[in-house]
Amino acid sequence: MSTVTLPPEPRSVPVLVVDPEGIRGCGADLLAASAQIDDLGTFVAGGARIGDWSGLGSTSYHGTIGPIGGRADAMSLALRAVARRVDAHADEMVRLETRRGDLVDVRGDLTGALSSLRAEIAGSTAAEAGRLQLEADALGRRVTAFEEDLTSWSGAVTAEETAMNEAFGRVLTLDQVERRYGGVPDPADEALATKPPAGASPEQVNDWWDGLTREQQLAVIVAAPGSIGNRDGIPARDRHAANTVALDRDLADWGSLDPDLLTDDERTWLDNARAADEARREIASRTDPVTGEPIIAQIYIYDPAAFDGDGRIAISAGNLDTADNVAVVVPGLGTDATSAPYHADRAATLYEAARTLDHHQDNATMFWIGYDAPDNLPWDGGWDAAGVVGEDLAEAGGARLADTIDGLRAGRDGEPAHLTAIGHSYGSTTVGHGAHDEGLSVNDIVVVGSPGLGGDTDHADELGIDPEHVWAGANSNDPVADLGNHGVVHLETFGGLGLGDDPVEDDFGANRFQAESTTRGGLNPFPDHSKYFDHDTESLANITRIVNGDYDAVRRADHVHDPWIGGPEDPEADRQPTAPNTFGG
Amino acid sequence: MEVVPVSVGVASRSWDEQHLDLAAASRQIDRAATGGFTSGVSGPAARFTGAWTRFATGLGVDCETRADGLRTAIREYVETDDLTFHEVLALGRYVTEVR
Repeated sequence: MSTVTLPPEPRSVPVLVVDPEGIRGCGADLLAASAQIDDLGTFVAGGARIGDWSGLGSTSYHGTIGPIGGRADAMSLALRAVARRVDAHADEMVRLETRRGDLVDVRGDLTGALSSLRAEIAGSTAAEAGRLQLEADALGRRVTAFEEDLTSWSGAVTAEETAMNEAFGRVLTLDQVERRYGGVPDPADEALATKPPAGASPEQVNDWWDGLTREQQLAVIVAAPGSIGNRDGIPARDRHAANTVALDRDLADWGSLDPDLLTDDERTWLDNARAADEARREIASRTDPVTGEPIIAQIYIYDPAAFDGDGRIAISAGNLDTADNVAVVVPGLGTDATSAPYHADRAATLYEAARTLDHHQDNATMFWIGYDAPDNLPWDGGWDAAGVVGEDLAEAGGARLADTIDGLRAGRDGEPAHLTAIGHSYGSTTVGHGAHDEGLSVNDIVVVGSPGLGGDTDHADELGIDPEHVWAGANSNDPVADLGNHGVVHLETFGGLGLGDDPVEDDFGANRFQAESTTRGGLNPFPDHSKYFDHDTESLANITRIVNGDYDAVRRADHVHDPWIGGPEDPEADRQPTAPNTFGG
Repeated sequence: MEVVPVSVGVASRSWDEQHLDLAAASRQIDRAATGGFTSGVSGPAARFTGAWTRFATGLGVDCETRADGLRTAIREYVETDDLTFHEVLALGRYVTEVR
């Protein structure tokens, strides 16, 4: 055996017990609480003042409320700053965890190499000593580099922990809060003073937002989340941040009260808030099939009190600001804010399929409960379903959808997204009105299970985009898809009944794609109306290909034909359905 | 005698709302989990959330004090001025805390 001086064993990498997502949750709670405290400051400066009260009592009262408002303002700024620091700490901990993983890998390589070298030395001759010493020296240099990296990493962990602790310690008493933040103007105030008025275009809103400093933007997100959370033209990332503050605050506000003390309205809003919470968690609990990471959830619209308590909620799976392909899914009958978790599942499923079928493109798929959809059957507590036979709700919804699409476009920087509007059931009527009446700024229109795209649309070329990019899918057993007008019969000409022509009929001029289900049929045909977004279905596979712009891969289907004599004929009814793989194995 | 307008009653209700909001904020801070931090940070984090839970509670109590003060002003006015019958009717519903 030759004599060779080996480098020392590399030190072990210390364990790092940390939960960045838990830290992020802590920061979100602190941020939402700071928004509540900020509201008190706003209240004292406005609503708390009693202008028509005079006399000694009034003087005394107004003299005492000022300091409370000042304290609230200072506390809000202090808590907001710590909450932001906590969020940044979570980001830094993610980076440190990644660095630690790299160090563990490098150490594994080094110990393996050392072990091999040791074995080689044991079986070597004196003549090999020189070569083996050179190898040992080279290995020694790698060990030294590793040790330096490890020291640097340990130092970074300690520095970050110290910085976080200092942030906590700087405002641990009210005296500290007053000294540091008393009388300091809120950066949000100046920013909000220049906010574009209602009716400003999304481009104007975006210009205003881009003109603010990041500090001002972050301040507005917390101080006035309602002013930008649903404002078209604000980037999705910041809408999400504002809506998260608003949602967390609402959950804390209404959720903390005895239910008996809530008004009927507040109970409804709390239900909607809880549905939004469940929906975002549903998406975030799913895994991106390409990266293996949790899917990003972005709350694009949150307004639990809209439409007399039906609510408005839109949440995406994926990053709306940066995705190559953005799909907006518009649901139909039976939809209100409380259905958000169900539609979140659909959005996440479409996202999974889009990423599975094309690993190389980024996607964002958003469910959009952004209009007052028919949500109640007349015999089940409401009259909205009466709207299903009319187009009023779809017309109003189409205009709102167009605003949302314009907002998505204006809020993004860089390359415009390939944007697809997908309407299901009555949602397809809404998409139809948005396209026909408002000129939806989308690249593709997809409708499934459609009862018609509105009485004013007789042909795909009336939807404002190249009819080659209008797509329709219908399960031959879906009774709702069979409600559209066939042949020369146009119900909308008789007292406003009907929702327009069948978009999978040959006369309509849309591309029909295969959308049969292997489980179609049965005594109750209505489940076939709800299978279009299920994994491993023809429908989901084809929708996904359109969303990804992979048009050549779309499996086309023959159109429905309505001869002069006899009823409509659907050639798809005789075809054997397939089950293309849209997720995993 | 100083006249107490109905807007005083409305303001007292608003202070009650602020009290409830801050009580919710206080609970939210208290609930903010500090278990995700490293052991070197979780202690100071818990100390921070504990202190701020008290701060928010205290601010809420101040709001309730303002509401009570306004209610006292209303009550004294109602009790001492039996001539302002209509004002009494209007103010009567503000003299007790609803929630």
